[in-house]
Amino acid sequence: MILYTLRRLAGVIGVLIAVAAVTFLIFYVLPSDPAAAACGKSCSAARLAAIRAHMGLDEPVWRQFWDFLSGIFTGRTLGSGQYTLRCDFPCLGYSYENSEAVWDLLMNRLPVSASLALGAAVLWLALGLSAGVAAALRKNTLTDRVLMVGAVGAASLPVYFTSMMLIYGLIRVAGLFPYPNYVPFGDDPARWASNLLLPWLALALLYAAMYARQSRSSMIEAMAEPYMRTARAKGLPRRTVVIKHGLRSGMTPILTLFGMDLGGLLAGAVITESLFGLPGIGQLFYGALSSGDQPVILGVTLLAAAFIVVANLAVDLLYAVVDPRVRL
Amino acid sequence: MNKRTSLVAVPLAAALALGATGCSGGNAAGGEGRGANPALLNHAAVVGGAPKRGGTLTVLSNQDFTHLDPARNWVMNDMDFGTRLLYRTLVTYQAAPGAKGGKLVPDLATDLGTSSNGAKTWTFHLKKGVRYEDGTPVTAQDIKYNVERSFSPDLPGGSDYAARYLADADGYKGPAEGKHLDSVRAPDDHTLVFELRRPFAEFPNATVMPTFAPVPEKRDTGPRYDNRPFSSGPYEVKSYERAKRLVLVRNPYWDPKTDVVRKAYPDRLVVTIGLKPNQIDDRMIADQGADSSAVPWYALRPESAAKVLSNAEARRRLLAESMNCTDMVQMDTGRAPFDNVKVRQAVQYALDKDAILTASGGPAFNDLSTAYMPAALFGGRQPDTLRIPATGDPAEARRLLKEAGEPDGFATEITVSSGDKGRAEAIQESLAKAGIKVTINTVDPSAFYATIGDTKNRTDLVYTGWCPDYASGSTFLPFVFDGRYIKEKGNTGNHSLFRDEPTMRRMDEIAAMTDARRADEAWQRLDGEILKQAPAVPVLVRRWPLVLGGNIAGAYGHTSYGGQLDYASVGLKDPSKSQS
Repeated sequence: MILYTLRRLAGVIGVLIAVAAVTFLIFYVLPSDPAAAACGKSCSAARLAAIRAHMGLDEPVWRQFWDFLSGIFTGRTLGSGQYTLRCDFPCLGYSYENSEAVWDLLMNRLPVSASLALGAAVLWLALGLSAGVAAALRKNTLTDRVLMVGAVGAASLPVYFTSMMLIYGLIRVAGLFPYPNYVPFGDDPARWASNLLLPWLALALLYAAMYARQSRSSMIEAMAEPYMRTARAKGLPRRTVVIKHGLRSGMTPILTLFGMDLGGLLAGAVITESLFGLPGIGQLFYGALSSGDQPVILGVTLLAAAFIVVANLAVDLLYAVVDPRVRL
Repeated sequence: MNKRTSLVAVPLAAALALGATGCSGGNAAGGEGRGANPALLNHAAVVGGAPKRGGTLTVLSNQDFTHLDPARNWVMNDMDFGTRLLYRTLVTYQAAPGAKGGKLVPDLATDLGTSSNGAKTWTFHLKKGVRYEDGTPVTAQDIKYNVERSFSPDLPGGSDYAARYLADADGYKGPAEGKHLDSVRAPDDHTLVFELRRPFAEFPNATVMPTFAPVPEKRDTGPRYDNRPFSSGPYEVKSYERAKRLVLVRNPYWDPKTDVVRKAYPDRLVVTIGLKPNQIDDRMIADQGADSSAVPWYALRPESAAKVLSNAEARRRLLAESMNCTDMVQMDTGRAPFDNVKVRQAVQYALDKDAILTASGGPAFNDLSTAYMPAALFGGRQPDTLRIPATGDPAEARRLLKEAGEPDGFATEITVSSGDKGRAEAIQESLAKAGIKVTINTVDPSAFYATIGDTKNRTDLVYTGWCPDYASGSTFLPFVFDGRYIKEKGNTGNHSLFRDEPTMRRMDEIAAMTDARRADEAWQRLDGEILKQAPAVPVLVRRWPLVLGGNIAGAYGHTSYGGQLDYASVGLKDPSKSQS
């Protein structure tokens, strides 16, 4: 198990380096020039060269990449002269757009994205699993069909459409909600929740639909297993049979899906955050794309990749806990 | 300065936009032959009456500030915000609507400066009793220090007037390692002397720039100063989370007796950043609850124009002053076929400016442009020297093409920022009528200036614009048409790559004039001369529409800040209605 974990960790690091390298190289085929963008409207060639040197853009690409990569582990000193900046571990570079270390920017926004992701996850798990299990237990009945048609319908709606409909219907027309305005949980838990309710719903509807379909098929498969027949034959209560034996073994594919989805969302739900004006990592990423803030684009890409591969690893390790057969 | 490029959803924060003084764009308010402009109900007027002191003014924004460090702040809206709220400059603009807003008034200085040595030496004396947020006095050395730090490559983005005009500034890279500029002297705490490389009668206009605000050396945090400028103005930064929220509170040491411009009515200003532009529009139009004490940071989107213009109540809360920036189709005069003046003139005649105006949201929020410089630089009205119909003259264009040896027309390409795609399609359609087949190349705003600034690989045509920094041709024509500013990469301003010796000689002659009125007239004449050579076609001048909350008072679009709200004077009718 230890060897397996170490091997997987090495794989995680390899994937992250590959993601960083590819993202880094993409900037070299793009026409944008961070130095020219920073310099402003009337920039002499000499000043442009000085800014380029200050940003380290005059170095060969491999050198820049190495500085970036080693800086993640050892920190970096950026800038020149009297204005040298110390970017401490884990240094993901410095945003010249925001005059701030990328890591600090990300950490400043992570609570927003985490609030959105975790709240939506609770909703979609509750809705998706209960609908899926209910449909599986009433297979081929009207309940099953209604739930699954609803799930297919909800899964077909892109999140931007759902978000815009919620904004239009509940905020603009009905006036039941104000436009979301993120309030930190520590400041006012009630306002935190009320401001996030619509974004949670927009995200949860899509995911709940997918989870309902997945959990239905997993449960149907699990209920047909011989050990379920054994459990029922032992006279165990139906609730115990369904939850302890059926749901637990049917959870494995759900867990995989959940790890990937939550990992991806923790690094920002770009569309949902942008549409609802939530100052999370997704919105930061969108802004960075618009303004060509390469260090931020790179930082968010790496963070997203890290969340996904780490979530993947955690899920693989959890399999053994959830499904005893994995340990055999 | 470069016209702001815009994105349909999120206008680009990094794009630059500066405005000038004046009261309308291409035509007088309302436009010729268009009837009264419904957007101009509050033209050159104050909305909401006199404010009461107190309360919180909320600013709803879709984008963060580009820079608040005075050495780096050179975007029109940011300069308005910074110099009206956080730091003071040697000279500033009067806080008044309409043309009065173009008037210079002393700010930190006791007067508008005294020139000697044939306008090559400028001396300013500072007021006494001006203090920073910690109670320490503002000194002349602090202004000298900020001028010097604006040269640092670590602090890019600011105006280059100091670099352009100060003597012996070539190669200077800021005050690192104790190096200082000898051409800026502070013989005592209240005297500043600037030595210029050549006569510059308009130097006081340049000292309006945040470059000429004070920064005490011991408070300088380099690039991080951007997030926490040290206040010499009426407000100080309480908190600033980049691209999320900025909160300003009163600077207890700001003394209104030393400040004739800033009124500082609200107790607090809260800027909420990162909202969707359409949501800001909807909220401002709806004017519900706390939003009645809010103002938008960015202009109303063209898509929301109809909702406002058809709503009498919202129209009463609308400001729509001219941005004083001219949109232009610029042609690469350095290569065929646009090295031929007849071809360029054909484009001038072929363009249907009316169609482009419609694509920009219509005549309520745009004026047609018949000259390069905006109306403010012509005393309020652009001349129409060529008298080409607003819908173009394709027949004349075809005749000119025939003369140029291109009877069958030709194919070319235009590069536009993604927000200008609709305008590009109108250009494409109108040039096609004259036989010029245009392919549109749409570029994301983040890469737009880098793309069109690569002079070797760019397309023949680009759609961009320019805004003067203040009401003088010296901040427009040389930037856009002086061939000596052309760079192979990172080229800005002169996107027609126009390099005409007589024009450049004339520019130098006008720049050396010490009589501002004579110089103004000379710039105006030169505008017409360049227009005849058609390196670019002026198309339109946009307005800056803002729908204000119903509880907002003392509000007007400031003509020197591109129509942006003057933050020196704005406040609330009833402070108790605002958020605490």
